[in-house]
Amino acid sequence: MLQYLLEALGVLWANKTRSFLTTLGLIIGVMAVIAIQILGSGMAGAVTGVLGAINDKSFSIFPNARQADFTRAAISVAEIDRATRTVPNLVAGIPLGSTTLEVRLGTAHAKLRLAAESDRRFITSPIRYGIGFTREQIAAGAHVCILLDTAAAKLQVDGDPVGRSIRAGDRRYTIVGVLAKSTSGIVPNVIQSDVLIPYTSYERDYARGRPVLGARFLVGDAGRLIDTENATLAYFTALKHGRALYQTIDRKTFASAVDGIFAGLTLIVALIGAVSLVVAGIGILNIMLVSVAERTREIGLRKAIGATRFQVLAQFFIEALLLSSIGCAMGLVLGLAIGAGVNEIALVQISGVVAPIPWLRSVLIATSFATIVTLVFGTYPAYRAAQLDPIEALRYE
Amino acid sequence: MNEAPRPVIVLREVTKTYALGEISVQALRGVSFRIAAGEYVAIMGPSGSGKSTLMNTLGCLDRPSTGSYELDGVDVGTLGDNALAAIRLKKLGFVFQGFNLLARTSALKNVALPLFYAGMPSRARNAAAADRLREVGLADRLDHKPNELSGGQQQRVAIARALVNDPAVVLADEPTGNLDSQTSEEIMALFEQLNAAGRTIIMVTHDEEVAAHAKRVIRVRDGLIVADERTAAAPIG
Repeated sequence: MLQYLLEALGVLWANKTRSFLTTLGLIIGVMAVIAIQILGSGMAGAVTGVLGAINDKSFSIFPNARQADFTRAAISVAEIDRATRTVPNLVAGIPLGSTTLEVRLGTAHAKLRLAAESDRRFITSPIRYGIGFTREQIAAGAHVCILLDTAAAKLQVDGDPVGRSIRAGDRRYTIVGVLAKSTSGIVPNVIQSDVLIPYTSYERDYARGRPVLGARFLVGDAGRLIDTENATLAYFTALKHGRALYQTIDRKTFASAVDGIFAGLTLIVALIGAVSLVVAGIGILNIMLVSVAERTREIGLRKAIGATRFQVLAQFFIEALLLSSIGCAMGLVLGLAIGAGVNEIALVQISGVVAPIPWLRSVLIATSFATIVTLVFGTYPAYRAAQLDPIEALRYE
Repeated sequence: MNEAPRPVIVLREVTKTYALGEISVQALRGVSFRIAAGEYVAIMGPSGSGKSTLMNTLGCLDRPSTGSYELDGVDVGTLGDNALAAIRLKKLGFVFQGFNLLARTSALKNVALPLFYAGMPSRARNAAAADRLREVGLADRLDHKPNELSGGQQQRVAIARALVNDPAVVLADEPTGNLDSQTSEEIMALFEQLNAAGRTIIMVTHDEEVAAHAKRVIRVRDGLIVADERTAAAPIG
């Protein structure tokens, strides 16, 4: 057996170019599948990260996009306030949305997103300096602000900036707190912001009674989240005399939506991977068949000097096995490198979640592909080679 | 005639019929002869005479339709494919017109190939192959690939390969067909040398000059032997 392996290695090595071209398809196919499934688990990690960032006591409400007159469902900050006071279990409400302004702090300046916050904190990143907003500041619509870690970085905050003022557009806000980077993953774009100001100030300075994108609410009892969402939906629908449609999103529904998207993506990507492997397999089949045709005289010779059918079969089969193992091993290494690399650069950086690389699964996938490709696409050419009549084969030009 | 005591090849009334669609072609129509160990025989005949079929039959690549063929004491007519392969491996050495060496493979590995199928370990294979290459005058060409060798050298490698398993019979099919006349002479001299050392050689050719080197010439025409004679020069033995 070892002899055959060495002999096959010798043949493959003697025909390096042919061998390489044969495995190329397989290398690329396996590489793609491995890289993709590492990215898949990276994405799953990122989803977990997103979940971590969303307050599990909060939900958002939006006008449903599928209604004839979207404007009829518009929500104002005054209505959010009323809902917070009226619907049981709601403890705070803020408008969704942000306004982007040129913000200055000393000599530093940057374009930053200002968003609303309440004294009951929606953004739960740890506090680095200062404190959150007080009830009085919210009630008064005070000119105060909290910087998120992104704003602190862009404004080159060095040390404790509490007490200093930023200038946003033509307004000033005194810094009362700075938040550290969220420890748990990315924040969905719609609630992403750089600078938080009291929602009352946001209303007075920017929203000014105009409709906002939607609302976020905090509930007192997380166990009654669904009921509260339904009550809030009912409240807003009644407020618009039943002529407007709304939808809510909480941590769970958001997660299932994101999961659904990723599941779809993963399926598509897996299909592409499977197709590419079939193509790679057919490539191997083709090159092995061409190789049998090209090597007809060689096979004839081998048989003439005394090789049995089984020996020829074994030789070609082992060649196919070696080619596919080498191809799959190279694909595995490249796929792991690419998958881990992209994961590190794209996903870990964004989500802050390091998903474990599924080594075992990768190796299993590569091994099973090598086996399948060999069995399916290597056996037939080997069989063809073994069946050749030595007299015909030796005469073959 | 003084037959040598031990016949290596005994053909009795061998026929071979090919079915080509609905027509059947009788390539051999009853061929009988015996060849003793140490003989040097040329088989001659025009194309279509059946000499290739005869050669394939002698080489155990093909079975006779009727009649019997005994090679080195074994009746090969009744053997299966694997047993025939084993006979080719152990008892026959082939030399072809087109050399049929493995490309991109060293002379040494080419010569060692039959021993691979015989299941000999790699080290012993290479040692035996090197010995044979020395015997054919290529001691300094062991690691050369076929494309680095001249036609004559390639045929010498092929002859070394035919000898490496110490066969009972060396079968050469137009061994000088691809060579110029001077190289042909060298190859023929090598065959004579091998025969002198005791090898049994059977050569198929259509070239009278080449056949003249053999000690016995069997002429085939229309599937029958038309002449079987000792050449003038050759001593019988």
